[in-house]
Amino acid sequence: MRDATAKARPAPRLITLTINGEVREVMVRPRIMLLEVIRDHVGLTGTKDGCESGTCGACTVLLNGKPVLACITLAVECDGKTVETVESLSEGGRLGDLQEAFLDQGATQCGFCTPGILMSAKALLKSNPKPTLPEIKKALEGNLCRCTGYNAIVDAILQVSDQGVAPLMK
Amino acid sequence: MILFDFEHESPSSTEAAVARLNEVGEEARFLAGGTDMIPNMRIGIVKPECLISLTSIPYAPPALDAKGWLEIDALTRLSEIEHSKLVGDAAPMLAASAHSVAGNQIRQVATLGGNLCQETRCLYLNQKHDFQFVEPCFKRGGDCCYPFPKNKKNVCWSVYMSDIAPVLVALNAEVSVLGAGGEVRLPIAALFTGDGLRPHTLNPGELIRRIHIPPAPSHFGWGYHKSTVRGGLEFATALMAVALEVRANGLVCSDARIAIGAVNEGPVRLDKTEASMKGLELNPANLRMLADQASQEVNPLPHHGFSKPYLRDNIRVHLKRTLALAVERAGTRMKEDRS
Repeated sequence: MRDATAKARPAPRLITLTINGEVREVMVRPRIMLLEVIRDHVGLTGTKDGCESGTCGACTVLLNGKPVLACITLAVECDGKTVETVESLSEGGRLGDLQEAFLDQGATQCGFCTPGILMSAKALLKSNPKPTLPEIKKALEGNLCRCTGYNAIVDAILQVSDQGVAPLMK
Repeated sequence: MILFDFEHESPSSTEAAVARLNEVGEEARFLAGGTDMIPNMRIGIVKPECLISLTSIPYAPPALDAKGWLEIDALTRLSEIEHSKLVGDAAPMLAASAHSVAGNQIRQVATLGGNLCQETRCLYLNQKHDFQFVEPCFKRGGDCCYPFPKNKKNVCWSVYMSDIAPVLVALNAEVSVLGAGGEVRLPIAALFTGDGLRPHTLNPGELIRRIHIPPAPSHFGWGYHKSTVRGGLEFATALMAVALEVRANGLVCSDARIAIGAVNEGPVRLDKTEASMKGLELNPANLRMLADQASQEVNPLPHHGFSKPYLRDNIRVHLKRTLALAVERAGTRMKEDRS
């Protein structure tokens, strides 16, 4: 029997998210993060759970087109919004142009930061189709790569935006 | 996942949010961007029973009021301030400081008011207290300051790290604070107590509604520098914001405000250095002298592994460069006015 003095737990609530074009309805308590909804409730494990404190950028997803950190975004705050994760970049099992460019440049080492960097790069390229080197660095400053493969990552973005960088691995 | 349960409400207006928080009481907290609050909740620094979210409240874009003051809603996201043409023209120092905050993903959701209301930081405090660091310090209700064990009782040497507050102090900005009794307009400096345990003068149930920045005088120059180890996605080692005015007939300073941030419990003005700057010709030798004086006047708290002498040196070197940049900008502006 519940203790009479104990406070009632906040009830789960129904939120509707459009994740990669599919409408999903999930029941969440307020303490659940967007990252847990994406990975555990919906099962899209491409988005990585790195630092859980908003300092590494591995969990970057696009929320209504803007790059945000899913590990410090409450799921209840995202009700009715559109989420794009790294899975949205490929179609029918074929990698997207940005992902191909990352392969061409060997821009992944351990690969843990890659989903976040891909989403940051997608947001950058959407607002700025031909970013300069400082613009790329500024847009990616929120993504840490502890294998320190930054040069290849920047090259991949320069390659996909047609700025004279040739594929390295083909 | 946050390790405790809490309620979440999203009122549709600022007034409703303030009324609701006063109804719920002190267990409730406002949630704006959440980029400081949520990590703090994850590691248990704050444990609210109810979050009153401000994210769905509509807000007006930055605009000039009838007197030419720049008015910015406190809920404006930092990325919007960074890219706003009006802010870039009217208060470029504010745009530069918004640009230097954390990383792109954080600036997309973090708000101006939230940046000013952020919690102070300390290497011991900002740890998950579940392994090794388990004893609470003063700020968590404990009975010892573990990073500085000889600290006096109930004195907290955590550091206020806002990148934007020193800029607003240097620009002599004002804030509108909305509470249960209505809206009050205060100078920005009145927001800060200088006490690490309770760094803000805002009471529970009060929130920052708007920021007002006065129009820049003619012959105005500014300089802003955020010292960091890495350059991005980082809190500052030391922060300096300089706003100065020179006389029309040469580079003689007529008014100056210098604010130093990220080395104390709140942003600090360097009153003595400012006073000795007035009427002084701003040549390189004098700037060096002023930077030396400033580094002696400021009393930095050692934080995040940086010692007091190092922080003094950091401020001396970078303040000299920041002052030189401000003088250069004032000179350029003077030339533009003449031509």
